[in-house]
Amino acid sequence: MRSPSSPSKKELTVLFELILNILLLLGLIYALAFNVLEAAVPVKVQKNPYALQPNVWPQVIMGLLIVCILINIFNIIRKNKGKPEFSLAQFGKSVPDFFKTKMFFGMLIVLVTSFILEPLGFMVTSFLFLVAFGYLLGDRKYGRLVIVALVITLFLYIVFGVLLQVNLPRGTVPFLRDFALWLEALL
Amino acid sequence: MNMLQMLGSGLAIVFEPTMLLMVLFAVIIGTIFGALPGVSATMAVALGLPFTYTMEPIQAIVFLVAIYCSSITGGSISAILFKIPGVPSSAPTTFDGYPMAQRGEAGKALGVSLVTSAIGGLVSALAMFLLSDPLSKAALRFGPSEMFAVTFMGLSILTSLDSKNVLRTIISGLFGLLLATIGQDPMYGVQRLTFGSKQLLSGIEMIPVLIGIFAVTEVLNQTMETRRLKAEDGIDGGRVNTKMPKWAEWLSIKWVIVRSAIVGTVVGILPGAGATIASFLCYSTETKLSKHPEKFGTGIIDGIAASETANNAATGGAMVPLLSLGIPGGNAAAVMMSALVLKGVQLGPLLLRHQPDYLSATFVSMIIANIVMVFVAIAIAKVFAQILSVPYSILGPVIIMLAVIGSYATSMSIMDVKIMAIAGIAGVLFKVLKFNSAAMILGLVLGSIVEGNFSRAYTIARGNIFEMFNKPIAGIIMLVCIVALIYPLVGPTLKKRFGRKAKLTQE
Repeated sequence: MRSPSSPSKKELTVLFELILNILLLLGLIYALAFNVLEAAVPVKVQKNPYALQPNVWPQVIMGLLIVCILINIFNIIRKNKGKPEFSLAQFGKSVPDFFKTKMFFGMLIVLVTSFILEPLGFMVTSFLFLVAFGYLLGDRKYGRLVIVALVITLFLYIVFGVLLQVNLPRGTVPFLRDFALWLEALL
Repeated sequence: MNMLQMLGSGLAIVFEPTMLLMVLFAVIIGTIFGALPGVSATMAVALGLPFTYTMEPIQAIVFLVAIYCSSITGGSISAILFKIPGVPSSAPTTFDGYPMAQRGEAGKALGVSLVTSAIGGLVSALAMFLLSDPLSKAALRFGPSEMFAVTFMGLSILTSLDSKNVLRTIISGLFGLLLATIGQDPMYGVQRLTFGSKQLLSGIEMIPVLIGIFAVTEVLNQTMETRRLKAEDGIDGGRVNTKMPKWAEWLSIKWVIVRSAIVGTVVGILPGAGATIASFLCYSTETKLSKHPEKFGTGIIDGIAASETANNAATGGAMVPLLSLGIPGGNAAAVMMSALVLKGVQLGPLLLRHQPDYLSATFVSMIIANIVMVFVAIAIAKVFAQILSVPYSILGPVIIMLAVIGSYATSMSIMDVKIMAIAGIAGVLFKVLKFNSAAMILGLVLGSIVEGNFSRAYTIARGNIFEMFNKPIAGIIMLVCIVALIYPLVGPTLKKRFGRKAKLTQE
């Protein structure tokens, strides 16, 4: 894992910005065309000439957004046109670097955590997350990392699960659920 | 209920032993969160949310307000000792606070910062107490046109949030408004933009998005910056004994404090403008008004007083539109608003009419928090080195786990945790796109209120948009909105043109 600090990072970010803007634009056009209304408008609303139809407000916002994003795309191209770094080939070369950054792994860990919380439950998820993210942030004292993760998990569980009575997820995997119930009974 | 009765009821709520302990706890964690670089005041309030789930709505707002006030003050500790503002609104405090620390006057700088913070907070709390009720009474006469105009005013300030990035700020605000349209429309319940997902039928939950954007994004951004904090010379390993300046020195900055408290409160009241704008504005104003402007930035107490009085004054100001109109005055107020909405509180002008306790309890909480935080901050400054020795490899993951619990406990839904994670990642992409997260949040929070009022006003005006604003209050507010919206776009061009003309005339 490394921090992206190559000389052309700024320009590559600009190209990434351009690509994201284009994707946002395409997504908006798709949503505007197919997803604004997803249920029938009641007849009395349709027949009321003075009622603001439910599709109008989002359509106006999307229309404005499309215009603004088009101007933004135009501005990005105008400001960076002609720069050697502002090319797809150069961008393609730098993409693998992004997948080695701490930022990417951080995003991945957060996303995975949100998905494993339900099957594994709070205790296991919290412990695994604290160890993984601590490691990502540079902690290499493994013993301390594990102990700290255990202590913090228990602390958070006692404060929120026991004292504040938040029903923290116990997990859907049978033995992990049994473990959580056993621990709860113990606490 | 008259003012004295209100005050009595507020005191009764806050001085209940458990509540008082919770306020003290809120002040301690607020000051620590605020002092930690990378934890903003909004993030501190968002991280305080999980503690409020078992509380009554009034207790929740009392608790969150105490965190908010103390976190703004806590930000000055690291600003003075390490030149790193704990919260963005403490950035101007570094200009004079850090040079004072370099001279070995960190204790005095902290003393000025804490006392002026408390004064700013107390003045604005009083302003909130006096202004909220009349404002909500006036707002009771507002119809949908006026309410639309008032909420639109919150959005019109979008273009002023980041004057160098107006287009991207507008895109961010519109994006927030679009997110607010997901789910059922506020008038007829017709589902929109759900992409067939049942979970999106009730719309995007605000709290997970707020927590994701303000907490998770910040920790993810920190993965790229591994910085080590080092206290300046003259500070004994980060151990600082706060000292109060002499009486003559206080007298020399009395007008700085008065002006900053007033301006800070007014800026706080404006929807969208918050503590950061207040502190920068007051610092630059005092530089211009000072008899010795050249000394600003070299380490004088005037600069610290301007910045710290103003940013704390903005806290009370931000609560005025929230309590009287149901419109958040800033990001932290938006988090508090989400917490109240979650508890089923109907925000708006009727809130204070039916439940004046919200105002009185918030007022008493702010008074207590602003006084107690001075002593708490003095104690925290003494052990600040130990607090900062907690490595970020522990603090960062703990912040995210608190964010997970905060999002999950909103409605005991795993979907909310996923929304939080996606919002956190989207916040990072927002940074790449140079979009403005604060503008997006403003759009998201105000979206359904703006749409609902517009829709009602449109029907009453029989579909005639000009008729909607053919009323004195609505018309004037809309005019102000249009000027506020357009000026940052055309202002620089006008300045250039008139500047050039003036030059030519002079020549």
